[in-house]
Amino acid sequence: MNWLASTLLSSIGKKLMMAITGLCFCGFLAGHLAGNLTIYLGKDAFNSYAEHLHSLGPIITLVELGLLFSALVHILTGATLFYQNLKARPVRYSVNKSAGGRTLGSRTMPYTGFILLVFIVLHLINFHFIDKTDTTIYQIVHSAFANYVYVVIYVFAMIVAAIHISHGLWSAFQTLGANHVKYMPFIRGLSYVFSIIIVLGFGFLPIYLAYIA
Amino acid sequence: MTKTINLNLKVWRQKGQNKKGRLETYKAVDISTDMSFLEMIDVINEQLTHKGKEPVAFDHDCREGICGMCGAVVNGRPHGPEMGTTLCQLHMRHFSDNDTIVIEPWRSRAFPVIKDLAVDRSALDKMIQAGGFISINTGGAQDANAIPVPQEAAELAMDAAACIGCGACVAACPNASPMLFVSAKVSQFALLPQGKPEAAKRAISMVREMDRLGFGNCTNERECEAECPKEISITNIARLNREYFKAGFLSAEK
Amino acid sequence: MQLDAKIPGGPLAEKWDRHRFELKLVNPANKRKFEIIVVGTGLAGGSASASLAELGYNVKTFCIQDSPRRAHSIAAQGGINAAKNYTNEGDSIWRLFYDTIKGGDFRAREANVYRLAQVSNNIIDQCVAQGVPFARDYGGLLANRSFGGAQVQRTFYARGQTGQQLLLGAYSALMRQVGTGKVKMFPRREMLDIVVINGKARGIVARNLITGEIETHTGDAVVLCTGGYGNVYFLSTNAMASNATAAFRAYKKGAYFANPCFTQIHPTCIPVHGDYQSKLTLMSESLRNDGRVWVPKNPEDKRRPHQVPESERDYYLENKYPSFGNLVPRDVASRNAKEQCDMGKGVGETGLAVYLDFEDAIKRDGKAAIEKKYGNLFQMYEKITAENPYETPMMIYPAIHYTMGGLWVDYNLMSTIDGLFVLGEANFSDHGANRLGASALMQGLADGYFVLPYTIGGYLTGTTLEEVTTGHSAFKESVTSVNDSIEKLLSINGNKTVDDFHKQLGHIMWDYCGMARNDEGLKKAKGMVQQLREEFRENVLVPGSKKDFNQSLERAGRVADFLEFGELMLTDAISRQESCGGHFNEAYQTEENEALRDDENFCHVSAWEFTGKDKEPVLNKEELKFENVELTQRSYK
Ligand SMILES: Cc1cc2nc3c(=O)[nH]c(=O)nc-3n(C[C@H](O)[C@H](O)[C@H](O)COP(=O)(O)OP(=O)(O)OC[C@H]3O[C@@H](n4cnc5c(N)ncnc54)[C@H](O)[C@@H]3O)c2cc1C
Ligand code: FES
Repeated sequence: MNWLASTLLSSIGKKLMMAITGLCFCGFLAGHLAGNLTIYLGKDAFNSYAEHLHSLGPIITLVELGLLFSALVHILTGATLFYQNLKARPVRYSVNKSAGGRTLGSRTMPYTGFILLVFIVLHLINFHFIDKTDTTIYQIVHSAFANYVYVVIYVFAMIVAAIHISHGLWSAFQTLGANHVKYMPFIRGLSYVFSIIIVLGFGFLPIYLAYIA
Repeated sequence: MTKTINLNLKVWRQKGQNKKGRLETYKAVDISTDMSFLEMIDVINEQLTHKGKEPVAFDHDCREGICGMCGAVVNGRPHGPEMGTTLCQLHMRHFSDNDTIVIEPWRSRAFPVIKDLAVDRSALDKMIQAGGFISINTGGAQDANAIPVPQEAAELAMDAAACIGCGACVAACPNASPMLFVSAKVSQFALLPQGKPEAAKRAISMVREMDRLGFGNCTNERECEAECPKEISITNIARLNREYFKAGFLSAEK
Repeated sequence: MQLDAKIPGGPLAEKWDRHRFELKLVNPANKRKFEIIVVGTGLAGGSASASLAELGYNVKTFCIQDSPRRAHSIAAQGGINAAKNYTNEGDSIWRLFYDTIKGGDFRAREANVYRLAQVSNNIIDQCVAQGVPFARDYGGLLANRSFGGAQVQRTFYARGQTGQQLLLGAYSALMRQVGTGKVKMFPRREMLDIVVINGKARGIVARNLITGEIETHTGDAVVLCTGGYGNVYFLSTNAMASNATAAFRAYKKGAYFANPCFTQIHPTCIPVHGDYQSKLTLMSESLRNDGRVWVPKNPEDKRRPHQVPESERDYYLENKYPSFGNLVPRDVASRNAKEQCDMGKGVGETGLAVYLDFEDAIKRDGKAAIEKKYGNLFQMYEKITAENPYETPMMIYPAIHYTMGGLWVDYNLMSTIDGLFVLGEANFSDHGANRLGASALMQGLADGYFVLPYTIGGYLTGTTLEEVTTGHSAFKESVTSVNDSIEKLLSINGNKTVDDFHKQLGHIMWDYCGMARNDEGLKKAKGMVQQLREEFRENVLVPGSKKDFNQSLERAGRVADFLEFGELMLTDAISRQESCGGHFNEAYQTEENEALRDDENFCHVSAWEFTGKDKEPVLNKEELKFENVELTQRSYK
C-alpha cells in the first residue's frame, strides 16, 4: 500500500482523520456562531452579514466543499471505527462497569454523531438549500422558529452537539499527540467551556427569535 | 482485623475455545478477609475437587502483581474494584458479607478463551515481536555510563516500562484496544537515547501488527488508564501517536 | 564417578580469557546446522535463547507460562550487582568476587565466581543498551544502592522492579529473534523428560498444557534454565509454577544434583497469616538500607510499636553486628530474627515477626525520598496487610526464597549428561551455601549472555552427533513413561487434593529442614516424607482428564516430584555434618551462634547420583580448592 494510505488507514491514522476533521468542524462552529450572533444586532445586521458572506463567492464554495469533504471523511471513518470496535468484542460482558474513564460524551460518540448528521441534513434543507430569491435569511430563520417544534429540535441538537464536543475536542488533541501533564487539564477544561458556549450560543438563538425578538 | 464473609459467586465456565460457556453459581463460605481474591478461588477449587467436579481454570503465577499472568473481570471491572491492583493483589477485605461477585474472563476477539477464565494473550507477544525491542546483539554494548540519560527521561521511561502485559487495558477498553500496551513499549524506547535509532520503524511495525490482530481502535475512553494495575498513563498513547505520525509522515520508513 | 569441573589452568584472573581462547569455535555457516533446545525463559533462558539465536543457532524455547515474559525472574525486586565502581568506593572485580565467595560461606567454586564478577560489568552495559530504565542520578548517570553482605554500593536497580526490567530486556531480545524465525517459541509447555541417546542429551518430551498433547523435540544440545525448587516448602516467595520437575527428571536421567539442602531463607518477607495462604511475599532486601530492624526488649511487651519507647527497643542487628548493622547477609539476618522470636520477643498476632522501621529514615530524608526509592514496595505491603508502612513499622519474617543447590555443572555449565547444560538458579554453581542479594540476577544473565554462548560451541565442535529423530526408541520409551505416570495420577482418585499433600510436605520441610536443622529432626522428616509419598501414591485426587487444560494435573506432577526431591534434600542435609550459610545444623555453631563450618571434612560439593526409584542416592564429592582466598570464619561484626 502507498505510504500515505497505509498511514491514514491504520487505526491511529483513522483517528487522525477524525481529529483533524473534527477540529475543522469546531473551527467552523466558532465562525458560524460568531456570524449568527449578529442576529442580536437586529434584522439588518444579520442580513448584511449573510450578504457579505455570499459576496465572497468562490471562497465560500471552497469552504463548503472543504466542509463537505471533511464531513464525508468524518462520517465514513467514524462509521468504520464504530463497526470495527463492535466486532473487536464478539462476546460481551454480562456486567459492565466503568472505572471512571468514560464520560457521557465518550460513551455516546457514535450515537450523538449520528443524531448530528440527521440534524445537519435537516438544517441544510431548512436554511441552506431553500429558495432565497424573494426573502431574506432573517425571515427564513424567523419564520422557521415560529414553530416551536423547530425550537425544540434545534435546542436538543445543540445539547447533543455539546455532548459530542465535550469528548471530541480534547480527544482530538490527545489523538494529535498534544497531551502534556501541564496543559491537558486546560484542554479538557476548554472542551467543556467550548461545549457550553455552543449550547448557549446556538441554543439560545431559536428561543430568542421565537419568544423575545 | 481478620473476619470472615460469605459470598455468592457467578463464575464463567467454558470448556474450551469454541465451546459455549455460561455463568455458574457457587457459594463461598467463611472467606477470611485477609485472603487474596485468587486464594478465595483456590478455596472454591478445593471444594469443587472434593466434590468430584472440575475446578475453575484461571491463570496466575507470581501472585504479587508483577508477572501479569492473572486477571479476570470482577463485577464488570478488570482486576476488580481496587485501583492500581492486580487480581492476585486484591484482598477480600474489599468485599462485604453476602456480596454477589460475577467473574468473567477478559473478552476480546484477539484473546480467545482457552478454558473458564484463562484466555490466550499471545497477541501481546506478537506485537512485541513486531518491534518492541532495541536491535542490539549480545556483546556489542558500550559502557553503560557512556550516554547520560536525563533523570526525567529515565523516570518516564520506567513509568511506561512498568507495564506487566496483563491485558487489562484491552479488557477494560470498550473497544478492546491495546493502545495502552503498545504505547507503553513505544514510549519507553522513544524516551531513551538507546531507542531512538529505531523509533520510526518500531512505531510503524507495532501499530501495523496491532491492527492486523483484530483489536479495536482507541477512541480515548480512558478506561485503560483507570483500570491499569500499574497506573500507566494515556500520555503514553499521545506519545505513541506523535511517534507514529513522525514515522508515517516525516521518516523514510514505510 | 570422578567429577571433573574442567576448571582451566593459570592464574584466577586469566582463566576465563584463556578458556575462551582455547575453546574451539563453530564457524558461522555451521551454527545454522545446529538446533538447541532451551527450557525456561527467565533471565537465564531468555538471555541464552536470544544470544544463541543471534549467533546463528536454531533455537527452540519452552516455558510453562503463556508468555516468556512471565518467568519467575520477573518478580525480583531489589537489584543486580556489578563491579563498576561508579561510586568510587574502591569496588573491583576482585572485591565482588571476594564478597560473593565469602557470602556463600566458602562453598562455591573460585573460578566460577571470579568469572561471574568479571562479566558482571558487561551485563549492565548490555542491559542499558537494550533500553532497561535503570535508576539514574540528576546528572543522568546510573545510580547505585547497597545490598546485604557488601560495604560498597554496587547494586543497580530499576525502582523495586529490577527483575522485571531485566527480564523484559532479555524477553525483548528473545522476541526479536522469534520475529526473525531463529527462535521457535513454545509457551504453555511443561518439559517432563530429557531424552538421552548414546550418553548425550538429544531432546525433550513436553506436555502441551492447553491440549494435553505429549510432544517430542530433538536437539543437538539441551539447555535447562528452569529456576529453583523453593516451592518444595509450599509457602515460598517463588511463583506458583516454580518447580523441581525439570531438574529432577534430568537427575533421574543421570545428571547429578548438587547441594540440594542449600536453601536460602530471606529475612524480609511478609509474615504468614493464615492456612489458606498460597504464597509469601518478599519485601526487597534493599529496604534494609533505610529500615531498622527491632523487637521490644521485653518479651512480655505487647504494646503497639509506637508506644514502645526508644530505650525499650532492641535493635538487635545493629547491636550485634556494628559494622554491617542491618545489612548483614540473609542467612545471618534470618537466623537472628528466628532467635528473637524463639525468645518470645516476636511481634504481631502470631509472634512470628519483627519490625522493620522507617521512622528514622523518613525523618532524615523525608517521605518523598523514601517513597521514590521504595514506593511500590510500600504500596504492595499496604495492599496485603492493610497497614501503612509510612506510619507503622512493617512486620517481617523470614521465608524460603532461593535455592543455591541445583544440578551439578562443570566450568562450562554442562551437567554430568553430555550436551545437557544448566543455567541460572537451576544449577548450583556460584552461590555456595548462601547467596548474596542482587547476585542471582547477575548470575542468570551472566550464564545466558556471556558464558553459555561460548561454552556450547566448544561442546558442539568437540563431539560427534549422529542424526536422531523423534522416532528413536529412546523418545518412544520416554513418551510411554511420561504417559504412564500421568495416567497413574489421574487413576488414583483418592480423597486428598494435590494441595493438601503439598501443604503437608511444606510443613515437614519448613519444620525440619528450614532455618535450623538437627540430625534427629532431619531423620524423622525423612520418614515422614517417605510416608507422605506413599500416601500420595494411593490417595491423591486429581480431577479432570489428560487431554485438556488441567491445572490440577500439572500441579500433581510437580508435587509428585517434590515428594521425591524433598527426601533428597533431607539426605543431603543429614550428610553435611557442619553448618554453612543457609544450612544451619544446630550441633555446629560458634559460641555466638554463628554457623560453624568444618573445612577439613566438608569443603566439597555434594553431588548426588540417582540410583533408582525410592533407592538411596550415591554421594559424589567435588573437592573445593581455595587458592586465592583464605578460608575464614565469616564475620560481619
Ligand atoms: C520475590 C523474589 C525477589 C528476588 N529478588 C532478587 C533480586 O533483587 N536480585 C537478585 O539478584 N535476585 C533476586 N531473586 C532471585 C532471582 O529472581 C532468581 O533466582 C532468578 O530470577 C532465577 O532466574 P532463572 O532464569 O534461573 O529462572 P526463572 O526465572 O525461575 O525461570 C524459570 C523458567 O523455566 C520455566 N520452566 C520451569 N520448569 C519448566 C518445565 N518443567 N518445563 C518448561 N519450562 C519450565 C519457567 O516457565 C520459566 O520460564 C528474587 C527472587 C524472588 C522469588
Ligand atoms: S499472578 Fe502475577 S500478576 Fe497476578
